[in-house]
Amino acid sequence: MRRYRLLAVSVLGVAGILLGVLFVGNINGNLVYFLTPHEALAQKADFEDGRRFQIGGLVQDGSVVTTDEGLRFVVVSGPAEVPVAYRGSPAQLFRPGIGVVMEGAWDGDTFRSDTMIIKHDENYQPPDSAEGEPGDGAP
Amino acid sequence: MTSVSRRLTAVTVVVMAGALAAALTAPPDRLQGNLQRLMYVHVPAAWLAYLSFAITLGASAGWLWKRRASLDRLASASAEVGVFFTGLTIALGSIWGKPVWGVWWTWDPRLVTTAMMFFVYLGYLALRRATLDATVRARRSAVFGVLAFAQIPVVHMSVVWWRAVHQPPTVLKPAAPTIDEWMLAALLLNVLAFTLVYVLLLRTRVRLAVAEETYDAAHDRAAGELAGQAITTPDYRKEFPNHV
Repeated sequence: MRRYRLLAVSVLGVAGILLGVLFVGNINGNLVYFLTPHEALAQKADFEDGRRFQIGGLVQDGSVVTTDEGLRFVVVSGPAEVPVAYRGSPAQLFRPGIGVVMEGAWDGDTFRSDTMIIKHDENYQPPDSAEGEPGDGAP
Repeated sequence: MTSVSRRLTAVTVVVMAGALAAALTAPPDRLQGNLQRLMYVHVPAAWLAYLSFAITLGASAGWLWKRRASLDRLASASAEVGVFFTGLTIALGSIWGKPVWGVWWTWDPRLVTTAMMFFVYLGYLALRRATLDATVRARRSAVFGVLAFAQIPVVHMSVVWWRAVHQPPTVLKPAAPTIDEWMLAALLLNVLAFTLVYVLLLRTRVRLAVAEETYDAAHDRAAGELAGQAITTPDYRKEFPNHV
């Protein structure tokens, strides 16, 4: 019984420390699943060319251009915008105005990406509904 | 099969049929089209995972308080069903994620915490097999069953607390649900149907546990009697005839 209590207390202790590190320490920002275009531009010095990370934002209306290897478009959040060169075929739901999380690295001022993840919102409406346009509430 | 079981099964089958019809006839989503129908199985499966582990929490706390064997069986049975539905949630989420997000898996907070929940409750089931002593097993797993529940709010709130690709809650959130009312009705009907399936599975699993315990007890008794008969005093004069 004594040994068991010791085990329980140590397990609790380890769990407590882990949770503390998780919430307070933020583990060098590794918990942040993606950076917004604003943060990505502000922290550009931390991510030298070639270091991979993820940018999440909305696909700017009218910015999508098809290229030989994929697409070029601009990811925005508020006033900040990042030009993205995406290599590959677009995801099924890709369209101007939708949320995307792009994985890749800086190449000069362009974000060169090879992985696209669509971030849709939590609003579900039939096609003829006027409520909520695509992309509302996305990052 | 008792009459309660039979009636419960009949009701479950009827509600399941209704829920399936509702899931297939609800309007498609404006953005995802028919792919959004996966929500009608993914969300109820996730709901059942939460529910099962909540029942495990309640039964574990109850065992620590009342020390009743039935509560231990309930906690164990619910955790088993919960692990199954957690796995189902991850699998269905993956199938939904591939066409809609573009990936089967990504290191998103909701996905990671759900996988963690899956492994922690697998650990609960492993812990139950770590000892043969029924009381020790019940006590250990009751403590584990209470502690492990701490992560369920984290799983649910992960999409709110951290940046994620997984969308935030549609129904279980402070504001009104942001979903078409027909879709919401279909979803709630599916949640009800899945809950009935859960009750059915849980009852069956608890009764199986009772049957197993009865069998084991009878088996042990029989083995004890047999072993008793087999033991005789050795007749050393017969074994060592030349011994004086």
